[in-house]
Amino acid sequence: MTDKIKKIVSQIEIENEDTISNALDQIGKLKDLSDEEKVDLSSALSVLFYHDHAGMVEMIKLANRAEKQIAKFGEAVVPFLIKEVTNADAESAAHLGRAIALNGAAAVELILKAWDENRGDDFAIINLIQTLSYFRVPEVVKALPEILVASKAKNHQVRAMALNAAGRLSQRLHANLLDEKIRTKMFDSAFTLISDNNPLVRANAARALGKMLSKRLLNDEQREKLLKSYNAILGNDEKHEWDYAYIVRHEAERFLPFCKAGESLADRYKQSFKIVSKRELCTKTFHFEIEAPLLAKKLKAGQFIIVRPHEFSERIPLSICGWDEGKGTIQIIVMAVGKTSSEINNMNVGDCFTDMVGPLGERSHVKKHDGTCVVIGGGYGTGAIIPTARDFKQLGNRVIGIVGARNKDLLIMVPELEEVCHEVMLTTNDGSIGIEGFVTHALQQILDRGEKLSHVLAVGPVPMMKAVSDMTKPLGIETYVSLNAIMVDGTGMCGACRVSVGGETKFACFHGPDFDGHKVDFEQLVKRQKMFVEEEQKALATLGA
Amino acid sequence: MSEECVKELSNKERMNLPFQEMLLMDPEKRIKTFEEVPVGYTPEQAKTEAMRCIQCKKPDCIQGCPVGIDIPAFIKLIEEGKPAEAAKKIRETNFLPAACGRVCPQDKQCQAVCIVGRKNLPVGIGNLERYAADYEREHGTLELPDIAPDSGKKIAVIGSGPAGLTAAYELRIRGHEVVVFEAFHRAGGVMVYGIPRFRLPLEIIDEDIKFLERIGVQFAYNMIIGKILTLDDLIKKEGFDAVFIASGAGLPKMLDIPGVNANGVYSANEYLTRIYLMHADKFPEFTTPLYQGEKVAVIGAGNTAMDVLRTAKRLGADVSCYYRRSHEEAPARSEELEHAEQEFLNWKWLSNPVEFIVDENNFIKQIKCEKMALSEPDESGRRRPMPTGEFFTDDCDTVVMSLGCEVNPIIPSTDDEVRINKWGIIMVDESTCQTSKERVFAGGDAITGGSTVILAMGQAKNAARAIDKYVRGKLKEVPNVPTDPNAPGVQWSFAG
Ligand code: FES
Repeated sequence: MTDKIKKIVSQIEIENEDTISNALDQIGKLKDLSDEEKVDLSSALSVLFYHDHAGMVEMIKLANRAEKQIAKFGEAVVPFLIKEVTNADAESAAHLGRAIALNGAAAVELILKAWDENRGDDFAIINLIQTLSYFRVPEVVKALPEILVASKAKNHQVRAMALNAAGRLSQRLHANLLDEKIRTKMFDSAFTLISDNNPLVRANAARALGKMLSKRLLNDEQREKLLKSYNAILGNDEKHEWDYAYIVRHEAERFLPFCKAGESLADRYKQSFKIVSKRELCTKTFHFEIEAPLLAKKLKAGQFIIVRPHEFSERIPLSICGWDEGKGTIQIIVMAVGKTSSEINNMNVGDCFTDMVGPLGERSHVKKHDGTCVVIGGGYGTGAIIPTARDFKQLGNRVIGIVGARNKDLLIMVPELEEVCHEVMLTTNDGSIGIEGFVTHALQQILDRGEKLSHVLAVGPVPMMKAVSDMTKPLGIETYVSLNAIMVDGTGMCGACRVSVGGETKFACFHGPDFDGHKVDFEQLVKRQKMFVEEEQKALATLGA
Repeated sequence: MSEECVKELSNKERMNLPFQEMLLMDPEKRIKTFEEVPVGYTPEQAKTEAMRCIQCKKPDCIQGCPVGIDIPAFIKLIEEGKPAEAAKKIRETNFLPAACGRVCPQDKQCQAVCIVGRKNLPVGIGNLERYAADYEREHGTLELPDIAPDSGKKIAVIGSGPAGLTAAYELRIRGHEVVVFEAFHRAGGVMVYGIPRFRLPLEIIDEDIKFLERIGVQFAYNMIIGKILTLDDLIKKEGFDAVFIASGAGLPKMLDIPGVNANGVYSANEYLTRIYLMHADKFPEFTTPLYQGEKVAVIGAGNTAMDVLRTAKRLGADVSCYYRRSHEEAPARSEELEHAEQEFLNWKWLSNPVEFIVDENNFIKQIKCEKMALSEPDESGRRRPMPTGEFFTDDCDTVVMSLGCEVNPIIPSTDDEVRINKWGIIMVDESTCQTSKERVFAGGDAITGGSTVILAMGQAKNAARAIDKYVRGKLKEVPNVPTDPNAPGVQWSFAG
């Protein structure tokens, strides 16, 4: 030990607040300490933890400072600290533990090793478990299984500390770090101990479960179970046999409010976005029904949503083909073209979308017309015209639906459309069913039979929408098209979705998605849709990987 | 030893201490990463810089701070080697110190009025604020604030940017139940989607959000108010006692010139959102794409333009800045401009884009500009850019327009009681931030039409105070909300 260090150490040993404080200041300024010196200093400082500080505010402050200082010495002193912690008294063990925990990932390994070496020494194990409970780094998750095993120990103090640690870690760690499996394990371990015969263990179990609950780590079933237990502990159930130990009742009382489903206001605004049904309509095209009660309440014909199926996905717009307010579900049709749409089609019943936002855009232009209203759908667009057709019909319009596809196998949603139209006409390029040719041929037939058309809505591939608009323009028939531009936010904030309409730049997500088909610059739209073709190919290539 | 020195330093000696530059990552290195550029003060630097403060009796800096931080007091604490307490002091008035220390335009606020600056460089208040906040975060010294007893009132905050978060905090500690409604899938607003990581690391924002969650602020994501719930829904059906609109910016401004809808022409909002919110820089690991070629042209010279320039550079492009005025008029915060200027960018001052030239597939390939010259100062003393009739054309394959934004139109467009002016700015009573609709208040960019993080926070604080009074039935004055559609938005004055 150099003289300098010796001097500081001797200063600490004099139990005088000012000298110790002074020594701490000096240590803070020391540079280029060797590992050995760091250990020497830590050893001297850790003596401060062993004092009985009851009521000595200044000394408590100094101990806290010492703890931070030791933590700053870093990994070099961790082995020393771990050794100390294995036979420290409760108060010092806490200080030492926190100092160790500030050192992060590497320290976790060392503690687990020490745990192995000290098996059989319950006292050491208790302190080591406590130390683990102070960590915030993700690596500490590795220690959880070991901690849960300890919750079955014979020694009730070990059980109690293991529960304590489980509860504390569930609060400290980011929820994402704890997967379904470990959550279940944590719950099960703690839940068995809520009927332990030792009151301290019961109290700690009640608290650990409460902490998991308040951090929202429990599922509905677990929450129900816990609610029952808490009520039993408090004597709230039919048996009226409350737990005789106050400490247990205290925890139950404290966490009971969290058991009530919808306890938090914000819960009202969480939707699960769970897929409740999925069916194939034709190759690569699926119909999904998804739980989204708030959306189901608000959607209007013509509006759309933006979804992000996974955490890594992009946000893509999807049109809506229906909703059921009573069931709290919405329906979409997804055709796999790029990576994200393929990912969605790989999802199954029970899977949840990460995010879904809407309703976006304006409602379709529906009102009562003199003449007939025609709704035209191609591909996924066949779904999107259904709600609008229904609205037209409800307002007392005569509604004709036209659906086009390459062949009869690709025609989708026809029965559903028939329900909301007075007449549905089918067209296929190959004539395999209905009229041979394009949707415009069907439209021509309607005109030919002398029916007065007041309004046309076309949703689907751009060439189809353009062909329809080109046809109706000279006839002066009001025609709307729904533009599927590339989007990011969908709220008018980024301008990715801009389209030219009548020479003016409009935002499809905010001003649209329906625009006057006679004014849309389709050529630009097609080109803008191809902005990311290369990237899309690249992304798609990663899908299998 | 420094302890004694401190006491004996005279003002003159303090004024003679050198300004402590914050170390910056080397430009060559930093343009290859998204890591933070200024690396922060060392404790010694912080102390020395703190000593430069002469602890004025009547400090102008506090007047210069939109949220009125007690600047001399927190600097004193740093000088005394108590950064944790300094942070606590700042938190009395500003609960986002780590973010503000980094992104506030101190050169136009507190530091602009600092007395030391009369002779020397002003005290590095922003740097010191950052130092204290970082210390607090890194050492875990942050204490949770006292929360007033439950008021039984529920308040909806719309938007989780600086204004929304500030209001949420202020209202929560006053004992109200607060739900923040966010349209995106994560909180932070412009701090996430609009400010680059090399200026404001994500951890800092996340810490602040976590802090709010810990004190009981609740967040609801994927909620576009106006669409999924209207203001009336919030008040009448959901039972909120008051609503604070902090929905921020909306439609980005675009140039009205040929080719503006070319592929590869972005608004700054889109460009930055793709990268910072959606992680397009990590494509294809993250699916959001970003088409960026080798030559990027950025239009504008404000803070956001600097962010775009430096982001594009980090993605490996050759980047040029086009601005129709000259360097001196660039509206960016001086430090941002300076940092950008170190990063090997091309500067095309006095260049006004007149056309984006596209190829047959509508992809941008060239930018055509008119050279400008500055006029003599007019009556207002401003020099205006005048066309010279001379043109030039540069190759480029990406253009980013950074020309500011209009106000987010969704809420006003779905509620006709909230009065707006002809620019879409929500009209409010200047002292209380009350709108023309009962129970509804507004703040941030929604009422100014665009400003800075700290100004938005200042307003939100004021609004929160008024909302607190309002829900407790103590706000008696009838709000005075302008009715003239030509009236400007709220002009912030440093009244505190
Ligand atoms: S998608 Fe961003 S503005 Fe429309």
